[in-house]
Amino acid sequence: MLKILVCVKQVPDVDLVTMDPETGNLVREGVPTLTNPLDLNALEAAVQVKERYGGEITLITMGPPMAESTLREGLAVGGDDAILITGRPFGGADTLSTSYPILMAANMKGKFDLIFCGKESLDGATGQMASQLAERFDASQISCCYSIEEITDGKIKATRTLETGKEIVEATLPCLITVEKDNFYGRLPSLKAYLASKTAEITTYTENDIDGLDMNKIGVPGSGTIVPKIYPPELPEPGQIISTGSAKTDVSKLVELLAEKGSI
Amino acid sequence: MATYNKITPEIAAQLKAVVGERRFFEGEDIDPNYSHDEMPIYGKYLPDVAVDVETTEEVSEIMKICSANKIPVTCRGAGTGLVGGCVPLAGGVVLCTRRMDKILAYDMENLVVRIQPGVLLKDLAADALDHGLMYPPDPGEKTATVGGNISTNAGGMRAVKYGVTRDYVLALTVVLADGRIIELGKSVCKTSSGYSLLHLMVGSEGTLGIITEMTMKLIPKPICDVSCLVPFRDVESCIHSVPKIKLANLDPQSIEFMDADIVTSSAAFTGNPIFPENVNNEEVGASILVTFVGNDEDELDQKMIKLGEVAEEAGALDVLVVATSANKKEAWAARSSFLTAIEADTKLIDEMDVVVPVDKIPDFLIYIRQLGEENGIRIRNFGHAGDGNLHIYCCSNDLEEEEFKKKVKVIMDAAYTKCAELEGQVSGEHSIGHAKMVYLEESVGEDVFKLMGEIKKVFDPDYILNPGKVCDSSLVS
Amino acid sequence: MQKSDYKNMWVYIEHDGETVAPVSLELCCEIRKLCDVTGEKLYAVIISDLPHEEVDKIRECGVDGIIYVNGTGYEYFNTDAYANVFTVLSRKYNPSAIFVGGTIFGRDFAPRFAVQLDTGCTSDAMELEYDPETGDIQFIEPAVGGKIMAVITVPVMRPQVGTIRPGTFKYAPVGAKENVEAICEEISFDPEAIRCKHIDFIPDDMDPELDIANADCIVCVGNGLKDSEHLERYRVLAKLLGGKIGCTRPLFDRGILPYKLQIGQSGVMVKTKLYISFGVSGAVNHTAGVDADVFVAVDKNPDAQIFNYCDYGIVGDMDEVCDELIDQLKARQA
Repeated sequence: MLKILVCVKQVPDVDLVTMDPETGNLVREGVPTLTNPLDLNALEAAVQVKERYGGEITLITMGPPMAESTLREGLAVGGDDAILITGRPFGGADTLSTSYPILMAANMKGKFDLIFCGKESLDGATGQMASQLAERFDASQISCCYSIEEITDGKIKATRTLETGKEIVEATLPCLITVEKDNFYGRLPSLKAYLASKTAEITTYTENDIDGLDMNKIGVPGSGTIVPKIYPPELPEPGQIISTGSAKTDVSKLVELLAEKGSI
Repeated sequence: MATYNKITPEIAAQLKAVVGERRFFEGEDIDPNYSHDEMPIYGKYLPDVAVDVETTEEVSEIMKICSANKIPVTCRGAGTGLVGGCVPLAGGVVLCTRRMDKILAYDMENLVVRIQPGVLLKDLAADALDHGLMYPPDPGEKTATVGGNISTNAGGMRAVKYGVTRDYVLALTVVLADGRIIELGKSVCKTSSGYSLLHLMVGSEGTLGIITEMTMKLIPKPICDVSCLVPFRDVESCIHSVPKIKLANLDPQSIEFMDADIVTSSAAFTGNPIFPENVNNEEVGASILVTFVGNDEDELDQKMIKLGEVAEEAGALDVLVVATSANKKEAWAARSSFLTAIEADTKLIDEMDVVVPVDKIPDFLIYIRQLGEENGIRIRNFGHAGDGNLHIYCCSNDLEEEEFKKKVKVIMDAAYTKCAELEGQVSGEHSIGHAKMVYLEESVGEDVFKLMGEIKKVFDPDYILNPGKVCDSSLVS
Repeated sequence: MQKSDYKNMWVYIEHDGETVAPVSLELCCEIRKLCDVTGEKLYAVIISDLPHEEVDKIRECGVDGIIYVNGTGYEYFNTDAYANVFTVLSRKYNPSAIFVGGTIFGRDFAPRFAVQLDTGCTSDAMELEYDPETGDIQFIEPAVGGKIMAVITVPVMRPQVGTIRPGTFKYAPVGAKENVEAICEEISFDPEAIRCKHIDFIPDDMDPELDIANADCIVCVGNGLKDSEHLERYRVLAKLLGGKIGCTRPLFDRGILPYKLQIGQSGVMVKTKLYISFGVSGAVNHTAGVDADVFVAVDKNPDAQIFNYCDYGIVGDMDEVCDELIDQLKARQA
């Protein structure tokens, strides 16, 4: 039976995050959260593998206690087990110090054959977690997976999307996979699973619960990068605005200007 | 038969003086889209003049000029109709309300909002939500104007629970054919005060007067909502579950019906197969999407559990939950794409919008499919299962237009006869325009049709308001 | 460790055995400028053979040295062998920074060797600056959907690793140095130990409509688009202008247009003569990806940020303006 780990993240709906012009801080309060969309594609890929080859899916996330709802969402569509890593010392982590506790917490549940995760997150959008997790888990790596052909004898054959075509690769297990949407659109949960997920037990690990956790490698101290400063994007001076109230007049003015510039 | 006058340069100058140069269009300056709505198959007719009005007074002035000179006036909103309702069959003036798009005032004590007719449905819906309120009618075409919704008495998905547009119109400002301005209704919820001209105006498609301002009823925004997709093996078992769901006291907000064909088209169109084509290794023949609103999650869970029991008894393959914001967005996008998805892969299209008693839906669908097959016309359909309102589309990519029209006429004639036989109505929410007039006459009978004509004459003795529509057969050759 | 022990910046040269990926040259040009500020040397790292004339292109970017790596395991790109090269080399030479093009391959292996070296890694920076006080590079980029600009640094660890998207920096070679140091390294990776093996490659059918990076004209459609039904007119306009259609992230998310047409920091960087946006709000993560001679914006919201980036803006209904533009352009052409 394949042991499958799926990494998920709860993210704020970035389209609704604003910046306080006074303080320069991000206003996240009241902003709805959602499960990172690409993580759901990764989960779907895992569920398809489970349906084809049998297996057990463990969901894992790191975040505040409310991130539990993302795990429940995953349990409703095919997850069997879920781990929440939570606690202040984990806060402020970059990808280096997030991938590490995920490895350590996952180790508490044994060795995994396949690790699925989203290509990137809506908020951080570094797209680095997958590679760094693969390194942490000492796993092979298939990123941008388009379809999974076959899993046999400790190997996985898959097709991945590159800039100019599709590459067919064969990798040894354990293997970390990120997926393209195309064949892995998320599914709707069945009512039974949905209701069951609401009361399902979730393993919660704080920094004290994870065996062998090196406190220097988590949170801010464990991070390779810091963000010393954020600021609102500097806006250039507006261009020439044409607004006569009539689309026809506006457009003829624009066409005139573009013709002058030689753009058309 | 009414006779109309041409718009002379003098009359044109008078009209131009009312709205000013920038909102007056003549000849080639007229937006060619004004010659049709979303069903160009019913013919294209350009007006001689188009005006974008901004106030009740302007409308009144325009009507005074036009009635004095016997110039036909066709009122147009966003042009999203499906029966040629806003098409100027007799030329003349198209009076467009798209610039009357202001939401004027909320009365938060009485839960009403006063708006102009050109406000788009989606804008009213969003703005009401921002005020913690909901505008319950939810017709599929969100870019229609609310004025247009009133003129056609549009229904939509939530009609099962909340009723249709008519139920939310409290008061109207209307400009009559001769330019007089009248007020109909008050912002109160009850009235027992003489003939309801207000309700006569609702659904009259601009043939009795021009609506220039309206007061709409709102309700407090539901606290939470959830939808369930219930897939079945076939259309029959799917539809037969609907009365059972209604009887189970679940008070759904909507029950939408979709068959396998439309789900496939929509998935191909949006690129997102949110509605599954297979469930538990069985092919899905048809599904319903049931939406509940409630005060908290527990209440919704209880409703879903009950729905689960009813669905299982009715032979459902499963019950799937649409609960996350992402899934809701996707499900909504897919449901909203049905008509667009049909249009996207179809060259020629005609439609009908019948209502039949809910238990007769399978009979009707089987009949219409058979008709389609016999005549070589592809049939696509979806609809509001909860109230028996079906949207049926006749599609073809191969036929010449004339041939297509001939074949579709055969299908339509037979289908409307069948609809009458099943005790149904010609139109649930798209109304009559000029495309469905003959079927209306057949369906309501001579006496009623004549009465409608008499009423029209009282409001518009010269037949200048939207000629040739609803019950005005004077233009039919 | 001492940060001061780490010197010189490296650029990984991505190539297919025949030509150098443009992003690698862009990076050499940009990092040349950075090294001039810090007083460090710039090295290009080439793994396996590359024709002379291509190596000359790299020299033209003003590199101080080239590290040639040869050995087994590099026949096809693979994360294991390529990450290993940088781990081995970095431990030997202690560079202060390593830059890798943000291609699919680059994004695959760079974060990986950063873990092996236990150091910080950043991606998709739009600007690079040097802070002489700390000696750190400031990787500056839009974050949180373009709502803010973030300065990211690697304050303690070395080397500083960054992946940079193709098209972010300009290819503007300053000319070859007189002496370009050549370092040859033999680093072999057992092909049997490569855990993810290349089996085959099937090139996509070239759809020229999807190749927008250098299109003469781009009509970009944003989240203001009502639905797919309203898209056709923008294709018509693009065709009329001899250009191509592009989009912003929400349209890709909504499944309306493919990823390859997504313009911006996490999509394609475009360089074009004429760019016309319709219904685009103007978040920096999008505008950062647009380099246009003439920038036109159309949006119904007069306060939309996009108008700050445009040369000419029209406040109005996007569909209406598009239709009008089509009509008037047709009239001109007729």
